[in-house]
Amino acid sequence: MAQLTRRQLTQGVLASTAIVPWRAFASDLVGQATTVPSGTLTDSGVTDSQIVLGVSTAFKGPSRGLGIELYRGAVSYFAHVNDQGGVHGRRIVLKLRNDGYQPVPAVENSVKLIVDDKVFALFGYVGTPTVTRVLPVLKKFQDRDFLLFFPFTGAQPQRQPPYDEFAFNLRASYKQETAGLVDNLMAIGRERIAVFYQADAYGRSGWAGVRAALKEHNTKLVGEATYRRGEQYTAVMRAQVERLKKVNPDAVICIGSYAACAAFARDAIDNGLEIPIANLSFVGSENLLKKLTDEFGSESERYSRWLVNSQVVPSYEDLSMASISEYADLMQRYDPTPPPEFEEHDYVPFAKSFTSLEGFLNAKLMTEILVRAGPSPSRALLEDAVFSIQNHDLGIGEQVHFSPERRQGLDQVYYTIVDNNRFVGLTDWKAKFAV
Amino acid sequence: MKVSRLFQRTMFGIFFLFLLIGVSTSVVSIYSVDLHLTSEYEENSRDIAKTIADASVDIILNRDLSSLQSLIDQFIEIQGISYIYIVNDTDEYLAHTFVPGIPEEILESERRVGETVTRNLAGMGDFVEVSSYILAGHVGSVHIGMDVSHVSLAIQQAIGNQIYLIAIIFFVGIFASIWFVSFAAKPINALLDYAVTLAKRESEEGSSETDERVLTRNDEVGHLARLFQYFSTVSDPDKLEQPSDVPSKE
Repeated sequence: MAQLTRRQLTQGVLASTAIVPWRAFASDLVGQATTVPSGTLTDSGVTDSQIVLGVSTAFKGPSRGLGIELYRGAVSYFAHVNDQGGVHGRRIVLKLRNDGYQPVPAVENSVKLIVDDKVFALFGYVGTPTVTRVLPVLKKFQDRDFLLFFPFTGAQPQRQPPYDEFAFNLRASYKQETAGLVDNLMAIGRERIAVFYQADAYGRSGWAGVRAALKEHNTKLVGEATYRRGEQYTAVMRAQVERLKKVNPDAVICIGSYAACAAFARDAIDNGLEIPIANLSFVGSENLLKKLTDEFGSESERYSRWLVNSQVVPSYEDLSMASISEYADLMQRYDPTPPPEFEEHDYVPFAKSFTSLEGFLNAKLMTEILVRAGPSPSRALLEDAVFSIQNHDLGIGEQVHFSPERRQGLDQVYYTIVDNNRFVGLTDWKAKFAV
Repeated sequence: MKVSRLFQRTMFGIFFLFLLIGVSTSVVSIYSVDLHLTSEYEENSRDIAKTIADASVDIILNRDLSSLQSLIDQFIEIQGISYIYIVNDTDEYLAHTFVPGIPEEILESERRVGETVTRNLAGMGDFVEVSSYILAGHVGSVHIGMDVSHVSLAIQQAIGNQIYLIAIIFFVGIFASIWFVSFAAKPINALLDYAVTLAKRESEEGSSETDERVLTRNDEVGHLARLFQYFSTVSDPDKLEQPSDVPSKE
């Protein structure tokens, strides 16, 4: 009922203000067959009025929070661009497909986006197990010069041969995130580090990052526990907690989804494993915290006080940064809803989140690339437009540049903890988590 | 339905013969299917282990472990394969599919690459494990576990289908044999009735319709009926002459 009221209010506000064109644009943006007539689309994914980007992501399932928030952040910026007249007079249109964070649908969707939908490029995918399996599809269609832009994963496969030439990343890698977490934990004396990870390519990527970082400190993982992809918050993680308790760790680094990691944090604290529980950016921090606060309310502090999450974008509360301020403004102005065709009414979007901020920055940089691609964009020349970005100010205090040897835009990793039910920057590791 | 005692024995014979065929065929089939399916599963798993081993070389040497995990995740979807793990040349686990973690039994066991190993993993069940070296063991080895209960289930299904078929054939055979025996026994019974009638000298009062049917049959029953009739009309056995239509012994 609250959801309906919110929707009605939103529609009322949108209909009674100057943002009305956005509603028309919104349906246009999601690229339905009615708005992207096949007869008008060329093989290049570009028409006189549109540039179509293909998106396959998790709009449904246990990780939908990531796909939806990433999409909402991107849409808020693309909506703004289209309201300003688009890119060289063309609106940016997204052709959306749901893969539920599962590899096989992700592969099928990608083939459809390339072969049937004939999009210009692929954009805003979510997940390592999905992207890892999609990369060979790009290799298969390499004669058509398809590129994947800014997937929401820090894994290595799209960052190194043989598939690095088919993708561009904006965010820092899991290697960088795990190395930062390990370095900081080791520095405060928490040297016995264990991992809790998803039993798939994503989990293994983070596991490998922790292992490599520990090797730099001449030590090894003291223990590990796994869970199956797709686990809900209702899952019992006691077996995993018991395995880790046996090795008496000083800290656990989690490489998982928000539902499973929240379940692990809950069961770990409940079973006496009161140590720092670190999570990577992919976890979707707000979604994780919401799981705990939904169940425990004001008591959730008992669990959240042990959380330390790495992020690959700055805090969305830091309005001193130009792009953060713009993000806050556009998210409030457009307040994008999940795509209607995939909408599940029990999902309540976040006003702001690290995930939607990343989606926003992805869209901002993608727009810059499309602008640089010129008035007659082609896939074959798109890579040159990316490489023309040198020391570009994205408005978050870190310069972005790309080259054939560097296909990742940002390197900065940020660390956050929970304070008053929101994530804030962690500056003093020793004061918070010293042994 | 009246079945002669002579044919009742035949029926019991058929029943026991069927039972013997059914039981012996099932026993042989269970042994044969068990042997072949187990062998086939092992063989397929070895092939898969070798395929993964071949594909792993480049990934382990040149790429990252998430690609290796992605590779084995594709194979774990194959029916019958329960777990896969890859260790390097220093016996460090590089990728695996275990949840909630690598079982103690495997962590503590001695690596026997190339051999078929039977494992009982606590909380997981019984498994047959096959393996293959990666780059002749210089890079590591791939290990694949097959769930024994899955193989047993496949065997049970195969045997179950066979027993089901044999049971159907058995019951159809029993009913068919009862019908055939009854059909074959009918003229014998008629002959018996006729012989009894003759013995009671009731034939003097004229032949009944049943008697006519027996007497006109062109088979051994008909010959016997006519022979009985002949015997009954001759009072002095010394005057007996063989009727023209009675078959000679040869």
